[in-house]
Amino acid sequence: MTETRVVEAWTLEPLERFVAESGARLTLLMTPAGQVLAQHGFTRAVDVMSAAALGAAIVASTGEIARMLDQTEFAALNHQGVQHGIFLGAFDTPRGGLLALVVYGPDSSAGLVQLFFEELAQGLVAAVPAQEEPKAVLAANFEEELNRSLASLFGR
Amino acid sequence: MSMAFQQALDNVTRVRGVRGAMLVAGEDGLIVAEALMEGVRGNAVAALAASLQKRFRQAMEAAAVGMPHFLHLQGEGGTLIIVPAPDGVLVVAVGTPDMNVGLVRLEMLRAAESIS
Amino acid sequence: MASDIKVMSAELARDPQSVVFLELGEALRRRGQLEAATGVVLGGLEHHPEVAEGHDLYARLLVDAGDFMRAQQVWSGVLERSPRHLGAHKGLGFLAFRENDLETALEHLELALAADPADQSVVRGLQTVRDAAAEAEVETAAETAAAVEELAGEDHIFAGLEGAEHGLLLVDDRGRVLGGRLLGAHGVDASDAVAAFLAGAAQEAERTAGMLGLGKWQWLVAEGPEGNVYVTPPTAETLLLIQRDRSVPSGRLAMLAERAGDLARQWLEGQQL
Repeated sequence: MTETRVVEAWTLEPLERFVAESGARLTLLMTPAGQVLAQHGFTRAVDVMSAAALGAAIVASTGEIARMLDQTEFAALNHQGVQHGIFLGAFDTPRGGLLALVVYGPDSSAGLVQLFFEELAQGLVAAVPAQEEPKAVLAANFEEELNRSLASLFGR
Repeated sequence: MSMAFQQALDNVTRVRGVRGAMLVAGEDGLIVAEALMEGVRGNAVAALAASLQKRFRQAMEAAAVGMPHFLHLQGEGGTLIIVPAPDGVLVVAVGTPDMNVGLVRLEMLRAAESIS
Repeated sequence: MASDIKVMSAELARDPQSVVFLELGEALRRRGQLEAATGVVLGGLEHHPEVAEGHDLYARLLVDAGDFMRAQQVWSGVLERSPRHLGAHKGLGFLAFRENDLETALEHLELALAADPADQSVVRGLQTVRDAAAEAEVETAAETAAAVEELAGEDHIFAGLEGAEHGLLLVDDRGRVLGGRLLGAHGVDASDAVAAFLAGAAQEAERTAGMLGLGKWQWLVAEGPEGNVYVTPPTAETLLLIQRDRSVPSGRLAMLAERAGDLARQWLEGQQL
């Protein structure tokens, strides 16, 4: 049975609700830099890291195109494949911008994913805790935090 | 929105009790064209109507009745009607519980033919 | 075999576009690791959607998982691209035989034999279907008569109601049949399949009505080329489906549903005592 796993506890309930309503097969919640906050459906750490990096890169690239065109950044992107579709959505929270990468199959649709993505964004904005004091990020801390995050995301 | 789509939807929305009509991409659940009163959430209607139609199609095919060409969901407070058109498009109407379903059905079937 | 799987997995990890996904998927399937096999095959098909063998393997995995309808769709897709594909004809023949559609089963198996006359599994399958077809005519009439007699019995939920023997179904909210019977194509009992799909469809109806502000959903009517269907929840945990041919208008279906709903509620109350 696939589970939802989170690094930050406040993301769990909105994400579980989103997965149940939209029928998404895979979901990643991350920062625009590709740092993962929560995931659903992934079974391998390498897939999570790759998907996060690629998703963040796609959003950054299309954001750049939007800037070149003198447009506001795209709020959502959708790619439709033969078996699956991929959805990337961005939204702001009091803790900064977040991205959701969603993979869905024939039992869902772009419309359902987009519909419940709006609710996901609202749910996360409502759930986000008050901002903590920013800590200085040292190289040693970073690796330790990354390993702790991976352990949380895979229940180890 | 193209003239043909606009005309097709206008004929549906003219019927008493109709609060909105739209053309929806059946596979994606996304809006193709819409004519909605204020307060009707078009993206929700599109996504949910497409999903409902897909699920009932499975049940109907298992019952050997074939792909539905008319679907009517009645709620205590409103009505939803779905009519598939060619090329995977759905004609969808949402309205009051006492909407004139017979007339809406007629206009939606005409709309489905006209957009092919 | 475990070491083969390890080697193939390593190759696929090194090169996700490698066609080793076919062999790896098949090996995992034979070991009963269906979820892993499905993941491998679907991943491979993302890179190689044109590979018919990959779709054939996916369809066989769907059959292993009990998703016969989806398997049929996948094999049908294979035949659109490769009309003489042996695996697709075998698979569709098996599914048709399973549905007791012997004519379609024979058609597919004969095409499979034409694609590979030496395939012994096809030869055996054809013999089985031909034997079954020879017995079918005698059996069908006897079965239908027995079913009608059984359902006309006093302890049946819808006894005495018009069309009770084949067009009324009472289902719980988990997709299980509580009573009644629905016949599908070629007179085959489709009750279980319809019940399973109906539960999901009803959940979607409830969600749709709720999110669109339609209030509590009361009933749904669907008209198809081969008949009309009326679905309503007689209680919070059950669903009633009535199916009739196209000559019965939806107003009449509503009247039947009301009577059938009363009978269903009486029967359910009796079960709780």
